[in-house]
Amino acid sequence: MKHISSRLLLLLAASVFPGIAFGHGVDEGTQQFLMDNDGIAIVPFMYIGAKHMVTGYDHLLFLLGVIFFLYRARDVLIYVSFFTLGHSITLLAGVYLDIKVNAYLIDAIIGLSIIYKGFDNLGGFKRLLGYQPNTKFAVLIFGLFHGFGLATKLQEFEFAREGLLQNLIAFNVGVEIGQFFALIFIVLALSFWRRYSSYLQFSVATNITLMSGGLLLTFYQLSSYVTS
Amino acid sequence: MSEIEHPIQSTAKLFKALALSLLIALTVFVTIVLPAEFGVDLTGVGSMLGLNALRAEDANPEVISRPGEGDLLFRQDEIEILVPANDGLEYKFFLYTHSNLNYEWNSTSSLYFDMHGEPDGDTTGYFESYGAATVDEMSGSVTVPFAGSHGWYWRNDSGEDISISLKTLGNYDIIGLN
Repeated sequence: MKHISSRLLLLLAASVFPGIAFGHGVDEGTQQFLMDNDGIAIVPFMYIGAKHMVTGYDHLLFLLGVIFFLYRARDVLIYVSFFTLGHSITLLAGVYLDIKVNAYLIDAIIGLSIIYKGFDNLGGFKRLLGYQPNTKFAVLIFGLFHGFGLATKLQEFEFAREGLLQNLIAFNVGVEIGQFFALIFIVLALSFWRRYSSYLQFSVATNITLMSGGLLLTFYQLSSYVTS
Repeated sequence: MSEIEHPIQSTAKLFKALALSLLIALTVFVTIVLPAEFGVDLTGVGSMLGLNALRAEDANPEVISRPGEGDLLFRQDEIEILVPANDGLEYKFFLYTHSNLNYEWNSTSSLYFDMHGEPDGDTTGYFESYGAATVDEMSGSVTVPFAGSHGWYWRNDSGEDISISLKTLGNYDIIGLN
């Protein structure tokens, strides 16, 4: 075992993170703030964005799938940037242009994105299609859907048009900060795990779990859609 | 190659993986998510795990009836209620199930109200809200879903006393201030 400090850091991370990552959607305090807010509120919107990403387990599961086999920091940055580009486009456009999409359907597609990446990690497309669909492109496209998912959560509230653009950009910046923060934990956990042989031994099982998670999410969101 | 070396799984392994993940997802969905989120318990596991309790909001509260009290007289009342600054209070009436309470109130300035009912004899603190808003007048009629105390919680968030003029009509007993 290399550094005791990194083990400790991981233990700390593992105990703090689940506490923060409760719930999904917009909590009451945020609801109240969004309804009452008038005008520009950069830091609050940044915080809401960050909190949204840190508690957004569907977005994080997809990211986990994306970086599961990436070992170079540069590659992690590149793939995450494609995801960021995708979700930023639709988050900004979706809220600012008030594009209405059904939240349940979008969340179901986000579930599908998780299944896709889990399956991809097993070499599923290479085996069944004979080729590897461009991963960066897939991440970008799914990022677009994730962005709509983020947008629908904000759109649930009729909040002030005044200062909307600034607040929205602040929210987006917050999302990236939250994403960065969450990624540190995920990357730490993966780096830690990769030192052990169990990582490769259990990579199939892990991606099966990822696919189950995605399927479960999809079922749940589709059921909510059908009953809404 | 930007990825850690990992094998491309065989077709058989892939289908087994898909099947297993589908099985896990369906099992968890049917036994846990459906009961907890939708109140649908297809396997009985939901009630076994007590998950159906998460949907208990839909269940009717146990209502204790008051036998032998006779019908309440039809009556009409008017009262002035003072809600002191930064204070809240409740004013209630007793009605039998499906009785009607007609009301009209106005106040010297806007304040928050929550019109609600509490089942007779209930000790769980359960209540059914009929409406809530911040206004200076309200009128209407409510047919109460259960016997118990029904009326208003008014909250004065301002620094000045607010006076409410309440008129009521129906078959009820006045419980009054709480």
